[in-house]
Amino acid sequence: MRRKTLFLVLAVAVMSLLLAGCGGGDEKAQTSAEKEKVFVFAQGADPRGLDPAYVDDGESAKVMVNIYDNLVRYKPDSTEIEPALATSWEVNEDKTEWTFHLRKDVKFHDGTPFNAEAVKFSIERQLPPNRTDDMPYASFVFGPVKAVEVVDEYTVKIILKEPYAPFLANLAMCMAAPIVSPAAVEKYGDNYIEHPVGTGPFKFVEWKRGQHIQLVANDDYWDGRPKIDKLIFKFVKENSVRASELMTGSIDAMDGVDPNDVKTLEENGMIVAKNPGMNINYLAFFCNKEPFNNPKLRQAVSHAINRDAIVEHLYQGLAQKANGPLPPFLPGYDKDLKPYEYDPEKAKQLLAEAGYPDGLKLTLLTYTNPRPYNTVGQKLAEAIQNDLQKVGIDVEIKAYPWAEYKKVVSPVIVEEGDMMIYGWIGDNGDPDNFLTLLDSEEIVRSLNTAKYSNPEVDRLLEEGRREFDMDKRAEIYSELQQILVKDAPWVFISHATAMTAERPGIENFKLHPTGVIYFHDVDKK
Amino acid sequence: MSETAKAAASEAVLDNIETYSPVREFWRRLRKNKLAMASLVFLVGLTLVAIFAPYIAPYDPIDGVMSDSLQKPSSEHWLGTDELGRDILSRIIFGARISLRVGLLAVAIALSVGTVLGSIAGYFGGRIDNIIMRFMDVMLSFPSLLLAIAFMAALGKGVENAVIAISIVTMPEYARIVRGSVLSVKENEYVQAARAIGNKDAAIIFKHIMPNVIAPIIVRGTLGISTAILETAALGFLGLGVQPPDAEWGTMLGAGRSYMFNAPHLVMFPGIAITLTVMAFNLLGDGLRDALDPRLKQ
Repeated sequence: MRRKTLFLVLAVAVMSLLLAGCGGGDEKAQTSAEKEKVFVFAQGADPRGLDPAYVDDGESAKVMVNIYDNLVRYKPDSTEIEPALATSWEVNEDKTEWTFHLRKDVKFHDGTPFNAEAVKFSIERQLPPNRTDDMPYASFVFGPVKAVEVVDEYTVKIILKEPYAPFLANLAMCMAAPIVSPAAVEKYGDNYIEHPVGTGPFKFVEWKRGQHIQLVANDDYWDGRPKIDKLIFKFVKENSVRASELMTGSIDAMDGVDPNDVKTLEENGMIVAKNPGMNINYLAFFCNKEPFNNPKLRQAVSHAINRDAIVEHLYQGLAQKANGPLPPFLPGYDKDLKPYEYDPEKAKQLLAEAGYPDGLKLTLLTYTNPRPYNTVGQKLAEAIQNDLQKVGIDVEIKAYPWAEYKKVVSPVIVEEGDMMIYGWIGDNGDPDNFLTLLDSEEIVRSLNTAKYSNPEVDRLLEEGRREFDMDKRAEIYSELQQILVKDAPWVFISHATAMTAERPGIENFKLHPTGVIYFHDVDKK
Repeated sequence: MSETAKAAASEAVLDNIETYSPVREFWRRLRKNKLAMASLVFLVGLTLVAIFAPYIAPYDPIDGVMSDSLQKPSSEHWLGTDELGRDILSRIIFGARISLRVGLLAVAIALSVGTVLGSIAGYFGGRIDNIIMRFMDVMLSFPSLLLAIAFMAALGKGVENAVIAISIVTMPEYARIVRGSVLSVKENEYVQAARAIGNKDAAIIFKHIMPNVIAPIIVRGTLGISTAILETAALGFLGLGVQPPDAEWGTMLGAGRSYMFNAPHLVMFPGIAITLTVMAFNLLGDGLRDALDPRLKQ
């Protein structure tokens, strides 16, 4: 008897819960079908934060570019610059004073008007003495800036310490350069990093860590309202899980496509976009110590590595063989570069000339996990080990997880090994951004991983930064690339193809060379 | 019956009596267990393959030809090739060397240290027993793989360190078994007698007690090899054990897992090798237990 009543009560409770659930669901489905266009994009991880001053990772950039605007922006499929919040600009004779004329009647998402004061605020909080150690891009983007002056409400003047050619490109970057709402930074203080307010096409709604970030369309956007109403960034860690969510339709698009999933995705009717990536995947020799302070040995090892086979088989064609440090689509790329090609016989001969007729033992450092420029992780090191063993070089591999790896390879003298595998993802589409990795001044800041120091290279880099005419810069950089390819501080391995995948029926979904997606024009049928 | 026939018959009986021995009895019982015998044959075969690997393997296990990478099994490469174009069959053959060596070595170390500790604890009892066994209990309270990973982190990567790590984490099991057996044996009259006539402790332990606890040790050791092989494979899978380019089954499995969908043979064959070997050691261990301790079976 008692059991029966209990059962009845339970049954009623369950039924009512189910009904309530159904009702809610129906309502939601109806409104979204009629009014809302929701676009779900999946990426591998949470952003580190959404304040452009304090982050340095691609996951943050992808969200931020849709919330913020910069003074200038990149064209949709290149790294050329076009007006954005600044409608026009001029620069004085000695290239140290940049005057920007700002767009009028633009408001931040919180209602704060956009004006010269806001620009001054956004930049000055990243200049000394306000600059702190945890602003990773402040010194890169605003390093040459001496002061920011408000001329009138819609005119702002940025004064540089010295002429710096890549400056305009820096202002279009997704790190440090976006303009933030001064009122919101004041209001949220340290929590601003989770409450971003910009002038961009989408407004921030909520961030559930480990799950998703939700944005809604900014109805008053100065460049026209976005075509989708709601943009959701979903965080799905595993590449293959993301791929299967795309095929089942629970997400509309994704990035970080695993080369092994390409075939499956395409067979299931998904569209996989393959774009040349703005990156370089390289092997660096530690040039400041034995044995690789000997250029002959660097040349010998360069000849021993079969880059064609690596690109074709290890990356299954989803990469492009590198001829030098710059990706081919970047301005200043010299297409006549002749890097040391695969030639094991020549390698053996050079090895003998370098003083190692019986081969030698070397230690190769590598990271274990896949990286955007090297999708196979540690296997690249194993492939190189395999190549070198054929010319009599015995390679021991020391592998570290990514976070630890950065620490291992950053000292000026790396005790642990003789060469290392690394890579670089371009920030702003300027050739200097790649070539500066071989500037001897960057040895202490650990960007120059090869610890390569060549006064001639340093001089040309400096010259390139002062020259504003792109044709003349290209000449300087051409000379520079020729030196690098001949001197071989790196083995230039490959440029990984950047891949995104989308469901059919999506329009204007495009990966920008800088690795982000601008959702302003994206539409869903 | 004639005299000669009688004599022959009694001689035959005598022969039977003379040739009867525990070892023979054990062998007779083991031979009846078909699964255990099949496992034994498989393992002997595997050992021979491992010993003569350089003569049997069709290719060099670490010399890859990139342009032949990820090939499906064919007449040229019986089990296909891996992502660097290395022959998988050759790698499995050479991998048997590492797996067997690590398994046997780890068990040998764990067994000898564990036996000594266990018999000391069991024989002397009291405080020594408490100190040794509580320490073993602490080690047993951690999941063994986790403990092995921790030891690897402290010792560094590599096969030798894998052997040490695995033998340390499996040692407590041997110590416990030996202690238990010693405890039950040491109160027997023959041990009391040996003590009464003034034998030293070491002599009593090794001459009188040890022969009587050898059976459970052999059984446990055989089963332990399979655990050790599995743990080597797990460490290899995690990238901690054998370092590239050397071939080891777990490492092959770990490296091949990202090709699971488009080249399943990369993980299938090392997986089969691990499964068969571990299963063979387990079945053989079960067979040995049945043969050595008939009471258990009934």
